[in-house]
Amino acid sequence: MNNKPRIGVYVCHCGANIAKTVDVEAVSEFASHLPYVKVARNYAYMCSDPGQLLIREDIKNEGLTRVVVASCSPRMHELTFRKTLAAAGLNPYYLEMANIREHCSWVHTDRDEATAKAKRLVYSAVAKARLLEPLTEKEVEVEPSALIVGGGIAGIQAALDIAAAGFKVYMVEKTTSVGGKMSQLDKTFPTLDCSACILTPKMVDVASHPNIELMTYSKVEDISGYVGNFDVKVRKKARYVDMDKCTGCGACAEECRLRGTIPNDYDMGLGKRGAIYLPFPQAVPAKYTIDPDRCLMLTRGKCGKGPKCVEACAVGAVNFEQEDEIVEFKVGTVIIATGYEIFDASKKPEYGYGQYPNVINGLELERLVAASGPTGGEIVIGKGDKAMVPKEVAFISCVGSRDDSVDKPYCSRVCCMYSAKLAHLILEKLPEANVRIYYMDVRAFGKGYEEFYDRVRREGVHYIRGNPSEIFKRGDKLVVKAEDTLAGRPLEDEVDLVVLAVGLEPRQDAREIIDILKLSQSADGFYMEAHPKLAPVDTATDGVYLAGCAQGPKDIPDTVAQAKGAAASALILLSSGQVKVQAQISIVDESTCRGCGFCVEICPYGAIELVEINRMGNMAQVARVNEALCKGCGACAAGCLSGSIQQRSFKDQQILPQIAVLGAMK
Amino acid sequence: MSEQFEPNVVAFLCNWCTYAGADLAGTSRMHYEPNVNIIRVMCSGRVNPLFVVNALQQGADSVLVSGCHPGDCHYMEGNYYARRRFTLMKELLDYVGVDPQRFHMSWVSASEGNKWKDVVGEVVKETKEVGSFEQFQRDKINW
Amino acid sequence: MADLEKLITVAKETVSRDDVKHLIGWRQGTYGFRVSPHFITEPEEADKLIFSPLCNSNLVNYLTWVEKLPVPRGQEADTRKVALMVKGCDSRAVVQLLIEQGIKREDVIVIGCPCEGVIDLAKAEEMFPNVLEQVEARWDGEKIVFKLPDGEKAVPREDVLADKCLRCRYPNPVLSDVLLGDEVKTEGNDDYADVDGMEEKTTKERWAFWEEQFSSCIRCYSCRNVCPMCYCEDCILDRLNPTWINRSNNISENTAFHLARAFHLAGRCIECGECERVCPVNIPIMTLNRKLTKEVREKFDYDPGTDPDSKPLQASYLPNDQENFIL
Repeated sequence: MNNKPRIGVYVCHCGANIAKTVDVEAVSEFASHLPYVKVARNYAYMCSDPGQLLIREDIKNEGLTRVVVASCSPRMHELTFRKTLAAAGLNPYYLEMANIREHCSWVHTDRDEATAKAKRLVYSAVAKARLLEPLTEKEVEVEPSALIVGGGIAGIQAALDIAAAGFKVYMVEKTTSVGGKMSQLDKTFPTLDCSACILTPKMVDVASHPNIELMTYSKVEDISGYVGNFDVKVRKKARYVDMDKCTGCGACAEECRLRGTIPNDYDMGLGKRGAIYLPFPQAVPAKYTIDPDRCLMLTRGKCGKGPKCVEACAVGAVNFEQEDEIVEFKVGTVIIATGYEIFDASKKPEYGYGQYPNVINGLELERLVAASGPTGGEIVIGKGDKAMVPKEVAFISCVGSRDDSVDKPYCSRVCCMYSAKLAHLILEKLPEANVRIYYMDVRAFGKGYEEFYDRVRREGVHYIRGNPSEIFKRGDKLVVKAEDTLAGRPLEDEVDLVVLAVGLEPRQDAREIIDILKLSQSADGFYMEAHPKLAPVDTATDGVYLAGCAQGPKDIPDTVAQAKGAAASALILLSSGQVKVQAQISIVDESTCRGCGFCVEICPYGAIELVEINRMGNMAQVARVNEALCKGCGACAAGCLSGSIQQRSFKDQQILPQIAVLGAMK
Repeated sequence: MSEQFEPNVVAFLCNWCTYAGADLAGTSRMHYEPNVNIIRVMCSGRVNPLFVVNALQQGADSVLVSGCHPGDCHYMEGNYYARRRFTLMKELLDYVGVDPQRFHMSWVSASEGNKWKDVVGEVVKETKEVGSFEQFQRDKINW
Repeated sequence: MADLEKLITVAKETVSRDDVKHLIGWRQGTYGFRVSPHFITEPEEADKLIFSPLCNSNLVNYLTWVEKLPVPRGQEADTRKVALMVKGCDSRAVVQLLIEQGIKREDVIVIGCPCEGVIDLAKAEEMFPNVLEQVEARWDGEKIVFKLPDGEKAVPREDVLADKCLRCRYPNPVLSDVLLGDEVKTEGNDDYADVDGMEEKTTKERWAFWEEQFSSCIRCYSCRNVCPMCYCEDCILDRLNPTWINRSNNISENTAFHLARAFHLAGRCIECGECERVCPVNIPIMTLNRKLTKEVREKFDYDPGTDPDSKPLQASYLPNDQENFIL
């Protein structure tokens, strides 16, 4: 076989769209004299069946090995013509297109100028076509299972959807129970559904679904691999309670010597628990856990004459010898639903959070009004003699939101509405109370939100537009110093309770997942989606999706909607069972690569890694591309000083000839 | 030099934003100068700054690199790398005495057909001001 | 000032170690003000080591210049450490190599020499022409003292030191395993006056200047070969497929060569000045490189070869990098 390329050039008239402005005869005549061109034709509609047939026949009869189609934008018909090549038995990547319609005939009026430009573009395409290489689109199998990191409402919803579609789901939750932040809420805006009533059935479903393997009190240690084939390593922390034996009866907790002495995180530290505990009665799984940092046996090796929990447990579930367990498994797709943290209001010292006991944050109030909370739903501040039922209550909006001074320029999207809801709940429980909300703007954007905002105002919640500058103590009262910007007057407002509507922020441990999966962060620190509009649940890493507040602040309906979106995206992969990977991806010449790692740093997809190879007995470090992860942007190629990493179909040696002919056609 | 100097501009456009924006200019039948010859790459991050030097050597009178607006890159980060690289290349070219009008960079999104037309107009106009590039153009060799 | 006694002791100890392949330092050259690199494998060879104002070469180049011959079957590659003497500027090359993973930290022993400046050979030879005997030199406050055949001569440092030393910001090694002597006080002032001077010219004047410079280039590639940062196994400028630049020596290819070389050092040049020092036709290569180091500092607040944990400049970005030139 002759190895010299045999190029066919096909100039399309596109009816009159091209032919009216470009002399297609002249262009194909010009092309026929270009190096390696065997055939050059023009035809009314290259994309039509007869047009494609023309190409197929020439490939067969003329032995063409490269095809240049000069027609519309490759964004329009590149796939069409690739299929034409494939149908004639030629590698589809032996196609190059010259865009002489959108970039030429449609934008120029002078026939001579347009024809000259069309010739340049065709020459450039021919110059590149000669050097095109055959590429194959690899397909990788998809492991029919999903990993969901985070057991809040986002993770729960995604898990239930994927499990319902018949695929295996591994859910990893860091704390001892699923439920997340939603389980801490009392009621939900704007419908005032009881949060637990709508959430707990889903929590139970997750634990009981045959397709879901729930791992609570566990942590993802590592995820490696690529779309369809992720290897996951999870650390199941020792609970010191045998999950299989524990019946959740609670006899152990009744007997624990530290009972009622340890602040319970679930109750925002307002309630107390023992060293062996269930964070809240509806926790799922309803299995007890021993706090290794507090338990006397685990910290001192001694608990009175013997640990009372062991004595109390009728089934012998307590086991102080238990150790962390590492579990490894494979999944095809990953959903990150790790949620958020609330803004630490002590970073705004002017509000006195942490200094005055009657300055609390929204989530703390949530626990106080909850019937299952530490006060049984009574709004009481302080304890014993100092216990006080507040009468004058002030909310402050946007604490840790829309505030450049604490580097939180974004809106947290839920605070306006949860303030309104909590204000309503206070009035419901304390009809005598006076509630006002200091706000910058009220953002009631969701379905039924504006109506709810109107409702609480009618109920007597007083909205004052102004951002308080300071809160200080005067006698028994707190003074909120602010300016009513609508009335244009300064005011000092004496109140009993200040509730800070704290914003949502990325989790402190957000970096752990970033390091594991090489996700990106947006400017606000939340995980970045692949596209803010068109790919809001995807990430840059194929097969990894985002759900819920891990991606940015959201209310519950949006979180659930996104979780369902993430589940649907994951299911596309899982149900098709195979995924095609890009063909025009990067390739490393390991003989010249110097292993500097620039490409590794540059790659937005973590698709390149450095490996050691043996160069005739000497170990050398070189870059290697994971073909399933590479998306073919070529940023690595432009950053490589030795030109060792190249993007297939866009190699330096393919682009430089284009530059050369375009320069020469002056 | 001919009376009416027609510059030769080599442009590297990213597939997802500027190339699509130029497609839109076509679909919208906007009219602009025929002097810009487009080389399609997948991302502005693919454009090796040495392509610019090479294009000038090969006979281009000026070079344009255009990609997605910051934050809009189809590959998330490519245009940021391009921006850094070309910030330095632009300074370097200027420093050795290549007119700054000979290198341009722009952000044109897929919806900015109008902007693409304006960018072409601007680049062609500026290139016309500085004329044909002769400083270190390669001698034409007729094989 | 560097402690010579300590140097010899350290060198002897170092080369006696089983895990050390050799030590690279300086020794007196064959004539005049010249020095040679000194590779030692035996303790007794250490006595010839020197550190003086004459030691103007950067030895870091030798870390990556090692030819790795095929290892015969049954044998193992020599992976012993290399010990190396560095001045402040040279040490930045070591750091930059670490950033770029050109070397592994555990493979080198860095012997840091606090440096008060090294001579510009041309300045010294102009001052004392035709000296064929070996010259010794030492620092003495604001003077450099040369031991010439006709006795000692003290010369003001600014008359004889290399330009890079007169504006040095890193006289002390930024990284070392052993430091010879006390640290030198840092003046730390580089106002890029040379670059500013060039920028003040018109575009036409600048081209006139560089056109003359690039025209005189003989494309010997010494500047590239001596550069500690140019360590690709296969330089793209040597390559035929694809051909980035042609072999011919003319203004087009020469300019492209110099632009490509300078650009490949953007954010990597550690300003040791070796390229300019070795240029046989005296092209002010550093004036080109320093334009980019200046931009890199001003625009990206980046100083190559100072922080081993930093990311390579061109393999990183900030979303708010300036972009006022973009249409």
